[in-house]
Amino acid sequence: MTAAMVRVEGLCKRFSVPRREAGLRAALRALVRREYRVVDAVQDLEFSLAPGERVGFLGPNGAGKTTTLKMLAGLIVPSAGRVEVAGFTPSERRPEFLRRVSLVMGQKRQLSWDLPAIDNFEFNRVVYEIDAAAYKRRLDELTTLLDVGEVMRRPVRQLSLGERMKCELVAALLHGPQVLFLDEPTIGLDVSMQLGIREFIRRYNAEHGATVILTSHYMEDVAALCPRILVIDGGRLRFDGSIEALRRQIRPLRRVSVRAAALPADPAAMGRVVLQEGGRLVLDVAPERVPEVVGALVALPEAQDLAVHDAPLEEVMRALFGREEAAELG
Amino acid sequence: MSERASKLARVTAAVWRISLAEAIAYRVSMLMWVLTTTFPLVSLALWSGLAASGPVGDYDRPDFVAYFVAAFLLRQFTASWVVWELSGQIRTGDLNTLLMRPMSPMLYHAIQNLAALPIRCALALPIGLVVLALAGGLAWPDPGSLATVGLSLALAWLINLGVHVTIGCLAFWVTESTALFEVWLGLYLVLSGAAVPTSLYPAGLAEVIRALPFHASLGFPVELAIGRATGAAVTQGLALQVLWAAAFGALAAVLWRRGVRAYEGVGT
Repeated sequence: MTAAMVRVEGLCKRFSVPRREAGLRAALRALVRREYRVVDAVQDLEFSLAPGERVGFLGPNGAGKTTTLKMLAGLIVPSAGRVEVAGFTPSERRPEFLRRVSLVMGQKRQLSWDLPAIDNFEFNRVVYEIDAAAYKRRLDELTTLLDVGEVMRRPVRQLSLGERMKCELVAALLHGPQVLFLDEPTIGLDVSMQLGIREFIRRYNAEHGATVILTSHYMEDVAALCPRILVIDGGRLRFDGSIEALRRQIRPLRRVSVRAAALPADPAAMGRVVLQEGGRLVLDVAPERVPEVVGALVALPEAQDLAVHDAPLEEVMRALFGREEAAELG
Repeated sequence: MSERASKLARVTAAVWRISLAEAIAYRVSMLMWVLTTTFPLVSLALWSGLAASGPVGDYDRPDFVAYFVAAFLLRQFTASWVVWELSGQIRTGDLNTLLMRPMSPMLYHAIQNLAALPIRCALALPIGLVVLALAGGLAWPDPGSLATVGLSLALAWLINLGVHVTIGCLAFWVTESTALFEVWLGLYLVLSGAAVPTSLYPAGLAEVIRALPFHASLGFPVELAIGRATGAAVTQGLALQVLWAAAFGALAAVLWRRGVRAYEGVGT
């Protein structure tokens, strides 16, 4: 792939976390002699993304997702390896690079608190050197899509979390970035707002062909938005592919459920029994046996609500990370 | 080149507009401003009391009035709060926003600082005038060349900004860089001429103190403004100011560049 929008080779980030007591005296002493604890946040990452791809970084807390994202955005400098985004080395933070990318962080506000969002937009117009016609066109488009025409005239501090996030997105997209970095963009938002933001990002990507890189704790965000997933755990790339491929690889069994007047005598012969209760049966079945099992279940008396599912994503994640933190990902 | 200049002018105007609006909305810092910067006026009360029974050194009562009112006002024109802004942004990760913009965060801070000037002046000038009138010191001594005073003020502003950025950048490595600034501020109050005109320190000590950056960032411009620095002292004082501005500018630039490379972007 020569036309990669993002190319990462042997990327590492090692943090030296200073270890010291609190207080001014310790701060002064730390200027002279410091003790460190070494943390390898990212180790030997390797991947490349094509223009217009939507990619999700998945992993438990502290897995290195956000560190990787920040290295791609040029906020932190890699300890080793190479990063190239839109043909630039991000950490050099050249203005030409910064004008081609945008970073939205769900946990950080970037708009000025006391001013209406529209003032922030206007400020970005000047700083990003957006020409007047393009600015007006994009502002109209974005404010209509996100429905913030009224909201953007109120001081940012008066906005709800969701309204603010919409305004953050407008501010981030006014300069028409080729690469959009989204760090937990829907954190703390209610379900309908999450859906709205998700839909907007998908649409924006489809219409403008921008490469979108997303980290999220909400599995649903990633599953719904990103045809391609990079699983990062312990600072390493553990998986690169579609969510279906991930599911099949980690939890190959399909979940089959049915309701019937009488259940088969020996359901354990069909697969692993997850639930057997009243007239309801839930089984985990090997993929190659699904047609056979479904055939048998359909033939049950008064069979209804027959369904075949992939394993729930949370289970996939739990299985993948094999530790408690992964539960949060649900 | 002219295109770059006009872009710089546009960006400056944009930062100015947004900062001015913020400064107006930023009430807490205004309160801090009132509390921390009326210090020379407290000194004025003290010293003019002492001078009531006769001059102290070469300062009589009206001299003290002029000196401290000038010190109060000039401090407004040169003050900065970049150290709090910067160290806060580094610690919380808010610096990310500035780093992602295609403009220098340092330029942003500098313009933001300048943008607060009109408001500071609007608040400080009436206070200065009232004090001056109350103290009966309306006869202002000959301030010498206005251009020289202006130049000296600009240099004092640069020294202050350099110090603020230097100490603020320490937050890249140290959690309590603002505590270090408190130390600086303590020395500043004693050694800059805000509490005592530095020429009143004992001979020998006075020369040392007057060569330090504290005096260069306040005492010297004040002496210029009230016509106490003349002849060779003007050139010498300006040269010292240039020296300190360059030294802190260079230090700030080095620390900033290294700090950004050490920056960890904060936040999971």
